[in-house]
Amino acid sequence: MSEPFEPKIIAFVCTYCTYAGADLAGTSRLKYAPNVRIIRLPCTGRISPMFILKALQKGADGVLVSGCHPGDCHFTHGNYHARRRWMVFRALLDFIGIPPERVKYSWISAAEGVKFAEFINSVTEDIRKLGPFEQYSQLIGDTQAPASL
Amino acid sequence: MVIGYGKGTTGNRRRPIFISSPDDVGRLVLDDSCIINLSGYLVSEGLLSDEKRVAVFLRPEGIRAINILAAESQLDADQIVIFGFDVNDNELRALKGIHVEEFADVIGSIRENNPGFADKELLEKIEKMTAQERFAFWQEEFAKCIKCYACRQACPMCYCRRCIVDSNQPQWVNTSSHSLGNFEWNIVRAFHLSGRCVECGNCDRACPVNIPLRLINHKMAVEVLGAFDHVAGMSKTQEPVLASFKKDDSETFIL
Amino acid sequence: MTKILLIDKLDNCVERWKAAGITVIGPVHRANISVYAAVEHASEFDFGLVLPDRSIKELFFPQTEPMLRYAIKKDTIDTIECMPPSGPRIIFGSRACDASGMAIDDPLFGWDYKDTYWFQRRNESVIVTIACIKADDFCMCTSLNMEPDSTKGSDVLLRPLENGKGWLVEELTDRGQEAFTQIAEFLQESADAPAQTAVVEKKFDLEASVAWLQKPENFDSRFWKEISMRCIGCASCTYLCPTCHCFDIQDEGDTYSGVRRKNWDSCSFALFTMHTSGHNPRSTQSARWRQRIMHKFNYFPGKFSVNSCSGCGRCSRQCPVDMGITETLQEISKLSL
Repeated sequence: MSEPFEPKIIAFVCTYCTYAGADLAGTSRLKYAPNVRIIRLPCTGRISPMFILKALQKGADGVLVSGCHPGDCHFTHGNYHARRRWMVFRALLDFIGIPPERVKYSWISAAEGVKFAEFINSVTEDIRKLGPFEQYSQLIGDTQAPASL
Repeated sequence: MVIGYGKGTTGNRRRPIFISSPDDVGRLVLDDSCIINLSGYLVSEGLLSDEKRVAVFLRPEGIRAINILAAESQLDADQIVIFGFDVNDNELRALKGIHVEEFADVIGSIRENNPGFADKELLEKIEKMTAQERFAFWQEEFAKCIKCYACRQACPMCYCRRCIVDSNQPQWVNTSSHSLGNFEWNIVRAFHLSGRCVECGNCDRACPVNIPLRLINHKMAVEVLGAFDHVAGMSKTQEPVLASFKKDDSETFIL
Repeated sequence: MTKILLIDKLDNCVERWKAAGITVIGPVHRANISVYAAVEHASEFDFGLVLPDRSIKELFFPQTEPMLRYAIKKDTIDTIECMPPSGPRIIFGSRACDASGMAIDDPLFGWDYKDTYWFQRRNESVIVTIACIKADDFCMCTSLNMEPDSTKGSDVLLRPLENGKGWLVEELTDRGQEAFTQIAEFLQESADAPAQTAVVEKKFDLEASVAWLQKPENFDSRFWKEISMRCIGCASCTYLCPTCHCFDIQDEGDTYSGVRRKNWDSCSFALFTMHTSGHNPRSTQSARWRQRIMHKFNYFPGKFSVNSCSGCGRCSRQCPVDMGITETLQEISKLSL
């Protein structure tokens, strides 16, 4: 029986909310899919679209971006700036043909361990169904530089 | 100095010229072939130093560009003397005003009835495509890209001393002009221009391999208008759209 | 009586060459640009273009190419060399300026280091040039002491017939002869006359310009700033030029593995001569434009006895701000009076 496709997903999360939520999921012993590699930033305001592009460049099948709910940002308004960027970047990726289903955004607070685990599980399944990001893999393959994930 | 248009190599070409003496005024030309947005030259190194005043011939898009450059602290709008003009139905008319604030009405009317740009057909065609088809479309277009950066150099808003693609610590975008590097370059530039592009078309015309760059920038301008009610270049104190926010910005896709 | 090739036999020739394992390349339209690319059928060619937007250079010196792949292991670095794909090619429908451009670059790529990437492709290619019967305002081959039917760099020269039905065939080299022997049955004898080649006016005085450039005092002339004020510093002219050959070597990958690539580079970029210290000997656009002109018409001929320009005019045709070599040399010609 052939192995199911295991998507490679990168998550960029903020320290004070989503990462803390991930910690809570861990300490609560909630099971969630191991496909996601988490990269911790101080705040979603630090997340540049370049990070998302870099993840795709290195062979990610999906990218997650998550932070504090609006109004709850540890740095007051980092996530408001992030929200605007995400809206614009999402529309841009959509227009260029990078499926919006592969880049997901969420607000997950430090208390939402359950939400975090459910979010990771559902996104992993969604991207598993979508399959590998073949169009992008072909571009990466043409460069002859190996994808490193 | 006066930055204006002069005769080009062939009949309908016009080229940017720089006049420093009244004797050279005869070289200036103004007609409906004067299309290039000249505002980019104002941020060339040293041009506006020592509080010099520089005059420049600008269409409305160029005047909007001055607003944006002033709002982003790249120049002092008081140093710019604007010879505004516009072309409607092949008829050229002068716009009244000297300083950028005086063109508020002309600029304001763009908000109401933006003429947009030519290739609405292609835009519609792309919007009807699936994500995979769009990717394939843009892959074919970006395969042509040679990373000459004419789009960047021709754009008044691309004034960064060290462009992100010229940085290697870290290196975000591959400098090679393979399809991946070209994709990334064009995505980055479109993102950095979102809410700042005045749709002058300099990039599109400059591209030596005919990539329909205007489409992408136009799409972002439409997005930014729909999401944030923002039109670039309305005044010299307008906040840049991605450097500001509203607490009730709409969000439809955040889980 | 001379040999001619009729245009309605061209598809047979393409088939014959393809059957012999030869890739047939020529001027075609792809994605809204004209370029030299491989064809399946002769119907894809467009011989009516003055010349394609992109030059033939990319067939020999592509905009990016891998040189080697590397993997850093514990005690060794493993490398796999990447050579260009091998296989014979016929470029059918080059222009004289494109073909001569390749011949101009041969001594450079074979100078102190023999560039195998260039020469493998050169040795596997037959260039069939079609003489121009029309030119546009930007063509300047005659100003470089060449003609629309120059044979430099070509293996076969085809002259369009006056009746428009085909071409007169002039085999110039052994390689060209061999390629046309393979399609000999599709050629025929004829007395049809060739059409008049395009008349291209001389645009500037090359000798006077070169003499002006060679004078050391003119290096610091104010002329350079004035002529290049509108230059925006993009690489359109250099990348479309058949003779421009600067390249950059870049490693792409991650900490332990990657690919080393050879990419086009341009003297018009501010970063071109930027030193790690931050010092830039050519920090102004005028210094960079001066470098371009000096290189092409003073330094390169000093080394290789030929100007690094074939007169195709792409620099002026494509420049977003209507600059180009033509205007600069015209102004220098005036200055040298």
